[in-house]
Amino acid sequence: MDYRQRWELKEYRFEQRFHWRTTVLHAVLVLLMVTYLGMFAWLQIADGDAWAEKAEANRLRKIPILPNRGVVYDRRHDVLASTRPSLNLVLRREGLTDADGQLRRVEGLLGIPYAELRTRLDKMKGRPSFESMMIKQDASLDELAKVEARREWFPSVEIEEVTRRNYAEGAAVAHVLGYVAEVSEDQLSRQGAHGPLERGDIVGRTGIEKGFDRTLRGRRGWKFVTVNNLGRPYGDAENGREPTDGNALQVTLDGRLQHTLYEAFGEETGAGVFLDPWTGEVLALVSTPAYDPNVFAGGIDTASWQSLEKDPRKPMNPRGIANFYAPGSTFKVVMAVAGLESGVISPSTTMYCGGSAVFYGRPFLCWKKGGHGTVDLRAALTHSCNVYFYNVGQRAGIDAIAKWGDLLNLGRPTGIDLPGEKSGTLPSPAWKAKRYAGTANAKWFAGETISVAIGQGLVSATPLQMATMISGIATGAVPYPHVLQRDRRAPRKLPVHPGTLEAIRLALADVVEEGTGQKAQLGSIRVAGKTGTAQVFKHSAGIDADKLDKAERDHAWFVGFAPAEKPEIAFAVMVEHGGHGGTTAAPIVRKVLEVFFEDRLPKKDAPAQPGPLQARAEAVLGGTAATR
Amino acid sequence: MAERPLPDSFDFPTLVAALALAFLGVLAIASATHADPTVGALWKAQLVWLGLATAGLLVIVAVDYHTWADLALVFHAVVAGLLVLVLLFGREVGGNKSWLVLGPVRLQPSELAKWTTCLSLSAYLATRVRGFVTARDVVRMGLLAGVPTALVLAQPDTGTALTFIPMYVVALLIGGLRWRVVVVALVLALLAAPFLWAHLEGYQRERVLTVLDPDRDPSGVGYQVRQSKIAVGSGGWTGKGLFAGTQSQLNFLPAKHTDFVLAVVSEELGFVGAGVVVALFYFLFWRGIRGARASQDRLGSCICLLVVAWLAGQFAINVGMVLGVLPTIGVPLPLMSYGGSALVAAFAGVALIVNVQSRRFVN
Repeated sequence: MDYRQRWELKEYRFEQRFHWRTTVLHAVLVLLMVTYLGMFAWLQIADGDAWAEKAEANRLRKIPILPNRGVVYDRRHDVLASTRPSLNLVLRREGLTDADGQLRRVEGLLGIPYAELRTRLDKMKGRPSFESMMIKQDASLDELAKVEARREWFPSVEIEEVTRRNYAEGAAVAHVLGYVAEVSEDQLSRQGAHGPLERGDIVGRTGIEKGFDRTLRGRRGWKFVTVNNLGRPYGDAENGREPTDGNALQVTLDGRLQHTLYEAFGEETGAGVFLDPWTGEVLALVSTPAYDPNVFAGGIDTASWQSLEKDPRKPMNPRGIANFYAPGSTFKVVMAVAGLESGVISPSTTMYCGGSAVFYGRPFLCWKKGGHGTVDLRAALTHSCNVYFYNVGQRAGIDAIAKWGDLLNLGRPTGIDLPGEKSGTLPSPAWKAKRYAGTANAKWFAGETISVAIGQGLVSATPLQMATMISGIATGAVPYPHVLQRDRRAPRKLPVHPGTLEAIRLALADVVEEGTGQKAQLGSIRVAGKTGTAQVFKHSAGIDADKLDKAERDHAWFVGFAPAEKPEIAFAVMVEHGGHGGTTAAPIVRKVLEVFFEDRLPKKDAPAQPGPLQARAEAVLGGTAATR
Repeated sequence: MAERPLPDSFDFPTLVAALALAFLGVLAIASATHADPTVGALWKAQLVWLGLATAGLLVIVAVDYHTWADLALVFHAVVAGLLVLVLLFGREVGGNKSWLVLGPVRLQPSELAKWTTCLSLSAYLATRVRGFVTARDVVRMGLLAGVPTALVLAQPDTGTALTFIPMYVVALLIGGLRWRVVVVALVLALLAAPFLWAHLEGYQRERVLTVLDPDRDPSGVGYQVRQSKIAVGSGGWTGKGLFAGTQSQLNFLPAKHTDFVLAVVSEELGFVGAGVVVALFYFLFWRGIRGARASQDRLGSCICLLVVAWLAGQFAINVGMVLGVLPTIGVPLPLMSYGGSALVAAFAGVALIVNVQSRRFVN
């Protein structure tokens, strides 16, 4: 073939065109190269920083490091709430083979339903594969051992180490300490964009955990980890922020009293409050039935939560601070103050109780059929005579009752440093007019004063309010109840005449000594108190409360303080449907006081001390001689 | 005229530019794959292929290009036969049946087809075309380029098939296609576009749309484009350093040692690295154009220009893809992407330029 024809010899026109078109193609090529070079410059230099940021966002994953929540100590430096290590059983999803087989074997070994596990695994589809699936939170050593012993059955089951809130006293501290849980979406949206909380933070939901959440919570830290395209942690952590652990908190509670009080309630429903009457320090605060706050620490499952929520006995309610009840006869203490201070009675004023009395054309009964006969204030309190206090109420009038009730902190919250406190009602014509404005109920009926005089009708109070009230009687100043040790709000002095409180205290000591509260007797230490029986049903007036069906029984109260002469502890215990306060509430109080005063009381089951003669003989002859 | 012996004036600059690009490629492949044990040794394989390719280059340069042109149709027919064999017995990788396995060697005949197409088109242009290309020439050259294209398309390797088009178009242009025909062809292509669009596969349409709107499908098709742009852009002036690109090392970048090898270079060596690559390619192409201008005859000119059309076309598609301005089509970067057959073929192409340059008419 003849390839070798020279350009200049043949096809001159072809050559011309070839050169021209080559130039055009060259120009196109140059244009392309310059364009691409420009685009590299644009991406890498002009926009380089923005792309670099995107590359960093690609590779860096922010891993939160949660702080340790602050420890809660009681007044004796015993730990009430702490953080403990916990082991979870998890299923590694990366490189997972034979998922069904492994999950079925988990079902067989640990009894966790296969269907539940499978659903949980399916729900994680679309999540990064390095995220494991939870099999069992806070697995027991027994469960871990079972799995470890059959390692070859569970190639993908791993043990994950975490920390978890721990309440050593469990249900006994449930309502007062509260519980913690992961911050809710609702809470996050409420705090706004710059709030301190982040998704995944552990926050207090109720009680002290909520009230002092800021102190206890601490601040989360984080580290940066380099990850690859699958999200698998790949390289070293880079500079992040160390977490700040929460601060420890000392509270005024006494773990022993708390425990004893909770145990003393047994199966009963109710609430009890024990205070230092001088300072308002809460020594014990219990509500029953309770729940185990430890259950919430790792995230409670829906079924358990619903059973708690739907339980008709309302175990989630902090009854001590949030439920109010008619105070019944315990209100007679307030009546005594109102009567003495308004001058309508003196300690020596006597009245005759014939079992009932008529006021405003209507008969009002005393609980004792046949009546108490002639009683003075001391006897009326000791034996809880209704007729005496009907008369006090009529003479003093509702406004005086309301005034002294208010001074004794009824009808308004005590201001305790716990979330969710509610207040009972201290009725008065003014209150009623406001509360029922525009309705037929707005008018105060004179007969209502008579009901209020024995703590029935519209009057109601929380156990905490009653404990606060009786603290005022015990010390002459109404304290602010609180659980935080360093709370130093000064008690409000009661503007009473000298002698008023003294007279009442003597009477309250008699209640335990010889009256309705004898079951609270404590041997050498004199206890002062007042029982109360709050009507639940109308018919119970005049019927022995202890003989009714449980649900129809009256609520039982016992409020007071000890020692009677020099009070160190004040209390209010309320047992729902407990019948007579003296029957069910007083023994609960006694059990707690036994612990409180244990140093000053003879040991119950201590061996008898050797007599003086025997002791002397031992000293002279030596230990062996005595036994010879 | 007698065959010219070697070296009349051996074209070292062109060879050096090609070798430089290939070595840069090996470095980038090593960087992209060293952390992954399954592909960590690929750079060594590429180095072996580079040795073979260089040897092949020397063999091709040693023999006068006229002789190669004489054999062009034979080669072309053999390669077409291989392409048919691939369709029958080929190994399928990633949905494409493009590999012929001969013992330890895996051959991609479609790469060799580029070289034989180049050579056979040049031979046709040099001997058969007088004045303007006629309709008969258009059809015949269309057959020369179309047979391998159709066979590759049947694999179905759309990307590789696409690379035959620049060769055919440039061949027609330098053959003297009248401008009015060019204009008519362009208009016809535009009219055919909607019809073509309707016949694209769903994923292919998705890729085209992604170029127009990069945020269209950030986790799917858009992911690759976006990761490539992040890799390139985050390189900045001088890059993150070899073996230190986060996009490349942590697997965010897809197909990083093959189609997106330039993204690795851009991330780790920055604008400087990308600029050097573009400059080297331009130098190589310019050597080809220079060779075409200075060639002693039409055959040499045509060979040079068609090799440039082949390599530059592939370069344009690949870089456009890396920059996110062209749809993601599986077209590797010549000389740099991992792939033995492609490297040998590209060096064989460069060898033709060196061949012509070294035997040019010296005044």
